[in-house]
Amino acid sequence: MTNNLKVLRAIKNISQEELSKQISVSRQTINAMEKGKYVPSTVLALKLAQFFEKRVEEIFILEESD
Amino acid sequence: MSISKVFFTLEMNLKATIMKTHFLFPNKFKKLGWILFVPSFIASLFISFSNLNIDNYWIVKVFAFTETGIMSQNNYFSVIQNSIVDEVLLYSLIIGGILVGFSKLKIEDEFTSKIRYESLVWATYLNYGLILFFTIFVYGLSYLNVLFFNTFTLLLFFIIRFHYLIYKLNKTSNDDE
Repeated sequence: MTNNLKVLRAIKNISQEELSKQISVSRQTINAMEKGKYVPSTVLALKLAQFFEKRVEEIFILEESD
Repeated sequence: MSISKVFFTLEMNLKATIMKTHFLFPNKFKKLGWILFVPSFIASLFISFSNLNIDNYWIVKVFAFTETGIMSQNNYFSVIQNSIVDEVLLYSLIIGGILVGFSKLKIEDEFTSKIRYESLVWATYLNYGLILFFTIFVYGLSYLNVLFFNTFTLLLFFIIRFHYLIYKLNKTSNDDE
């Protein structure tokens, strides 16, 4: 699964630190998600979608291998 | 239901779910854990490797379910004299280790929970791997050492692995920004 969190974050001009505070997770979690090292839970995915005012599918994209 | 109400309900649900961490102690217990764990760990290592005899210190009456002295009969359910240095050290080691390993981090979230879980699996494999290894290479009374260390090595390996991974994450994500 890939995601475009980094792009969305750049558009909103918000740091990892700031985003992590907004959705109450650690900065490492944001970092790991952006690097594709961590697949968030449904709850966290929905939180991110809510924050960026996007649908979950617009942020997270399934890959062939999934 | 209006959109704002939907979002409000969602928000409430999300908060409740994200906050939920099972079976972990509050973050403030972590410090107490370190205070108990580190000194007793160093003392235990020192006592075992220097062959220091601690049997003559801190002798108190204790109630024993069972006691077997060297070259003596078994005692059952009796009050005996015993040096409690080793008992106190082991209590401190285990309680300290549990508090260090299972207190929440300052920011505990689903990702840190995953790392915690994976470290615990890793530590369990390592611990039992070592036991299997020493079981076929250590015999006689020396094996008691293996059993003694086994009382806390699982916790020790877990603590080291978990904190190493968290440290590594902090470092890499610092580099990125």
